[in-house]
Amino acid sequence: MISAYILITMQPGKNDKAIKEMREISNIAKISIIAGEYDIVVRAQVKNLEELLDVTDKLQMIEGVGKTTTQIIEKEISLQ
Amino acid sequence: MIIRKKYLFYVLAITSSFIAAAVTGIDSYVGGQPAFKYDPWAFAFSLFFIGAIVTFLITLILSIQRRGRSLGSKLLDPSFKQIRLVQKSELKYNLVAGLMNAINTIGYAAIVSTVQDPSVILSFSQVVIIYLLLMESITEKDVPTLVEVQSSVIVTFGAILASISLTGQIHVMSLAIVFLVINPTWAIFSIYQRKLKLMRIHNKPNDSINIRFWNVVFSCVFTGLILLVFDIFTNGSHLIAGFTASIDPFYFLLLALTMGTTFFAYVLYIRALGMGKASVNNALRASTIIFAIPFSILLLKLGLISQFSTDPVMLIIKIIGITLIVLGIVSFALTVVKAYIFITVKTGRPLRETMQKLWDIRGVSHVTITSGRYDFIVKVSTRTLMKGYERIIKKIEEIDEIKKYHWESVLKDWENI
Repeated sequence: MISAYILITMQPGKNDKAIKEMREISNIAKISIIAGEYDIVVRAQVKNLEELLDVTDKLQMIEGVGKTTTQIIEKEISLQ
Repeated sequence: MIIRKKYLFYVLAITSSFIAAAVTGIDSYVGGQPAFKYDPWAFAFSLFFIGAIVTFLITLILSIQRRGRSLGSKLLDPSFKQIRLVQKSELKYNLVAGLMNAINTIGYAAIVSTVQDPSVILSFSQVVIIYLLLMESITEKDVPTLVEVQSSVIVTFGAILASISLTGQIHVMSLAIVFLVINPTWAIFSIYQRKLKLMRIHNKPNDSINIRFWNVVFSCVFTGLILLVFDIFTNGSHLIAGFTASIDPFYFLLLALTMGTTFFAYVLYIRALGMGKASVNNALRASTIIFAIPFSILLLKLGLISQFSTDPVMLIIKIIGITLIVLGIVSFALTVVKAYIFITVKTGRPLRETMQKLWDIRGVSHVTITSGRYDFIVKVSTRTLMKGYERIIKKIEEIDEIKKYHWESVLKDWENI
């Protein structure tokens, strides 16, 4: 299983509709709206890199999504 | 299904409270049975003895695999794979939690056997939130924020008002049991269950189903031992009475019903403990009082209990109490600040050591080493931004390996459950 954070910069005023569409994409585990350099952080969980490409492709097709930066997780420690 | 993450925590804690309210109703009926009414010791042992059998069977069923995942993983806790032996690293936590649960249940059984209105029983134990706040300040080196103290006090007072008895009778013995036995043991039990939930077993998050199963097993052993010692010194026969009652088919079914239902309440509670502090969880659990009222009315209508007040003055007091509980819970829910911290480290520094340093910072819930623009993405959770600065940012700045970082507050989030 491969996990990755996809950091998204949005065009202003498009967040709500974009989030609605993101929630429909399979392989997305978490979505956070954040304040700062990026606007949205998406956490994807996929079986292979091909599936990760599908997720980023789908995200980039959403209206309002400006730029995506993908960070693949190599190691993780978490409470959950 | 992708939902707001904080809802998951509240859904788990409040669903657990709802089931716990049903359990308290059933318990007061079972505790009122002839075999247990005057022998709370036997009642406590029977609960755990049958509880261990029922919990084992439920855990076995939940271990059934379907399409590569266990039933328990699909229905209750995604971390659960199958029933397993207790690990060496968990043993001391299980021993403490088991002993505390055993003592707590003996105290609880003593009250259930003598007082029949469940909402009255529940009132006494709500002060545990204050105990937990104090204990967390010591054990987790986590001084509660003003909001946490305010919300806890509101919930505690609300809980006492919501469940006060109309007759105005204060049983000194019951109060003593609650303040000296039930509350301290429940506080320690909750903290140790949380410690177990936060542990990693075979490099994976510990699951609440095995934690519950082993807790019942250890609690059964400790209850048996306590009763054995007590019987030897007092020439009593509580242990035998408990065992004899347990094998009676009617009592067996009643105990299986109560402990089977309890299993689900606890699994959800333990899962929620992995997501939030024990004090916050217990404040949410105060909603049990609200849920207990309809169960009490139902039991009264069925003629299974005889004491439940419907006096208008008392109902007004209960409504004020319930309002305070809801206000306190909402106040807890609305005062969490979460953020991502994106970190770049200096070259030539070992990432694993830096990862551990980041993980050791209180308030950090996720640390990930990533490939790409950033070396680490850290997720943090704190009650206030000031605490985030004092407790997290200052610590990050002390880590020499870190070259650059930036904090991005989470405004809203959703999670797939």
